[in-house]
Amino acid sequence: MHELYGLLTGPLAWAAFFVFIGGSLYRLATMLILVHKKEKFIFTYMSWKYSFRSIFHWIIPFATTNWKKHPVLTIVTFAFHICLFLTPLFLLAHIVLWDEAWHISWWSLPDSLADMMTLVVVGACVFYLIRRISLPEVQYVTSASDYVILLIVAAPFVTGFIAYHQWLNYPLFLNLHILSGEIMLVAIPFTRLSHMIFSPFTRAYMGSEFGAVRHAKDW
Amino acid sequence: MRKHGLGLLTVLLLMIFFLVAAHSQEEMISVDNSIFPNPERVASVFEHEAHNEAAEIDECNECHHVYEDGVKLEDESSEDMLCSDCHQIEVSDDQPSLMQAFHANCKGCHRSEKKGPVMCGECHRKERGGD
Repeated sequence: MHELYGLLTGPLAWAAFFVFIGGSLYRLATMLILVHKKEKFIFTYMSWKYSFRSIFHWIIPFATTNWKKHPVLTIVTFAFHICLFLTPLFLLAHIVLWDEAWHISWWSLPDSLADMMTLVVVGACVFYLIRRISLPEVQYVTSASDYVILLIVAAPFVTGFIAYHQWLNYPLFLNLHILSGEIMLVAIPFTRLSHMIFSPFTRAYMGSEFGAVRHAKDW
Repeated sequence: MRKHGLGLLTVLLLMIFFLVAAHSQEEMISVDNSIFPNPERVASVFEHEAHNEAAEIDECNECHHVYEDGVKLEDESSEDMLCSDCHQIEVSDDQPSLMQAFHANCKGCHRSEKKGPVMCGECHRKERGGD
């Protein structure tokens, strides 16, 4: 078990972060190069003001017409993304590992709260799954990869929850937890999870076009 | 007959004496975490005698170290002190905090020796109490 844990927390962790950060920078660079090559004219109306106006509206729950139209989805989506980011970043066990490896440390969540936030993430994944299956307009734009992505995102949280409670085979689930987290990191730049990198840009583009060209709201 | 009785009584008393002596010091089975005001995890398992036997540790200062100016003093030992006599709960620049020291002393050695538990829940075992 020492070898596997050492591999997962050593070389594979390095590889995962390298691919995640390197891949994200690569995707950003190729996106910007492509825009420069093919649609340079958008820079004639790209605007900081309209970009941030759009981003600002869309990151606030119920601040857009679309958020208001789908209240349940809005609540689930915001709860999901907040818990998705905060739980791993502020989990005590993760911070202890950062401290041991790099001597850096920051504020942590109480374990009981992190436990509930994990359930929020997993619950939201179940919600998204049901939504994809049951709503025709969502099913129409769903491909097999969307289900795989849901699994990739849910896996670190499900395995982390089982490992934290030390149910079943603890070392196995902790190793699966680390592995699934690394798979998620690697998947971010190269799947639809890349909306993590691209969403501010698409929002900024939409905001600028609606604000500067159409003179209309995009929220 | 009287002589025999006295001899038997002495043997019995001696047996009781040794039994009490053997059990008077309770065997250590976990790390004392009572100093932490609000521990998030259950105290780590640590069976002192069984551990040292399995790990073949004879010298106390293998774990009960003394550091001076960042250098371990090979001839000094600190088994008559509490870890918390030196290591504070709060992190300081001078030396590892108490939690950092526990982790470094146990897990650090387990990692370098490639033996013994290294994952959180292998030491902080829930079945030992807590939620």
